Amino acid sequence: MSGKDFTNAKDDALVKAARRGDMMAFEELVARHRNKIFARAFSMMRSEDDAIDLSQEAWVKGWQRLKQFQGESSFTTWMTRIVINLCLDQLRRKKRQRADSIEEMSEESGGMERQMPVVTVNPTERLERSELRKRIDDAMGKLSEEHRAVLVLHEFEEMEYKEIAKTVDCSIGTVMSRLFYARRKMAALLAELKKEK
Amino acid sequence: MNDEQRLKLQAFLDGELPQREEREVLAWTQRDAEAAALLAELRNTRQALAKSEAHLSVPETREFYWSKIERELQKQEATLTREPRKSFIAGLRRFLLPASATATLVIAGLFAYSHMDTVTVAVVAANDSDETVVETAQAGSDATTYRDEADGTTLVWFSAADANPAGGKKPGATD
Repeated sequence: MSGKDFTNAKDDALVKAARRGDMMAFEELVARHRNKIFARAFSMMRSEDDAIDLSQEAWVKGWQRLKQFQGESSFTTWMTRIVINLCLDQLRRKKRQRADSIEEMSEESGGMERQMPVVTVNPTERLERSELRKRIDDAMGKLSEEHRAVLVLHEFEEMEYKEIAKTVDCSIGTVMSRLFYARRKMAALLAELKKEK
Repeated sequence: MNDEQRLKLQAFLDGELPQREEREVLAWTQRDAEAAALLAELRNTRQALAKSEAHLSVPETREFYWSKIERELQKQEATLTREPRKSFIAGLRRFLLPASATATLVIAGLFAYSHMDTVTVAVVAANDSDETVVETAQAGSDATTYRDEADGTTLVWFSAADANPAGGKKPGATD
């Protein structure tokens, strides 16, 4: 325990102190950004328990790799990349452990999105922000892990195709195909949710 | 519309096309209603997703959430502080084992070398019988024994430099 008050310290100062081994400075960083890191893990995994475990694992990894953080991006962006990689590793492990479902196989073949009719009316128009978030969250939960991951990386992390391909370890063509399917499925799900309401 | 065209439409929306292709797709969507409708759907979805991620909070207190991280960090710190001592001993062992083996070999070699002189002499002494010529196998000493039956004399020459620093043969006689 250092006994210092880090409440008003900037992230950069906290990172420097943490690099010197100050665990309380690191604790302050965790406290500040834990919700964002947890939220990213949840958006990828759709499981609260997995999101807690993986986000905590990400913080441990972050501490170990602090010396590698050069400040090219913000600390939260750097931490978000760590948690994303951990989530992708976990998803790969899960995928290896189970047989792929028929739905996933047909999604990968790229056939289903062609059969979906185009949603001509914007299903999210005039929705309250909170309602929109709720609907999007519900729809995200209905996507397959592969499609959700690509959508999260593109829409929430604002990654380009090339960067996603590198992160997910697949071709740019696969990224484009998955993103296309994920968007079309999202549009259909949001339209359905609107009808239900 | 084929798959390539669909994906190109999406790439246009995401700003991933080169300028020339961008202009081509734009012209295409202006004359093709199906392409325009699909582009509109993709755009609506993208806009809905932008900044609409659910705001989530860790469902644990700050202290509880941190406690698990802290435990893991302390466990790893403890492992790291133990490791150097372990590796120092391992390193010392790595150095000492071959060094002691080499030393043992050198000592054994020296012992055998010094012992071989005695053995040779003993062989020479034991071969004090009729018509026997003994040539020793001792490397370096080059000793030769000759027995003259007529005189009843046995001669032994040592040609090793250390056996006779003067360089000549050092005869020894028995009988």
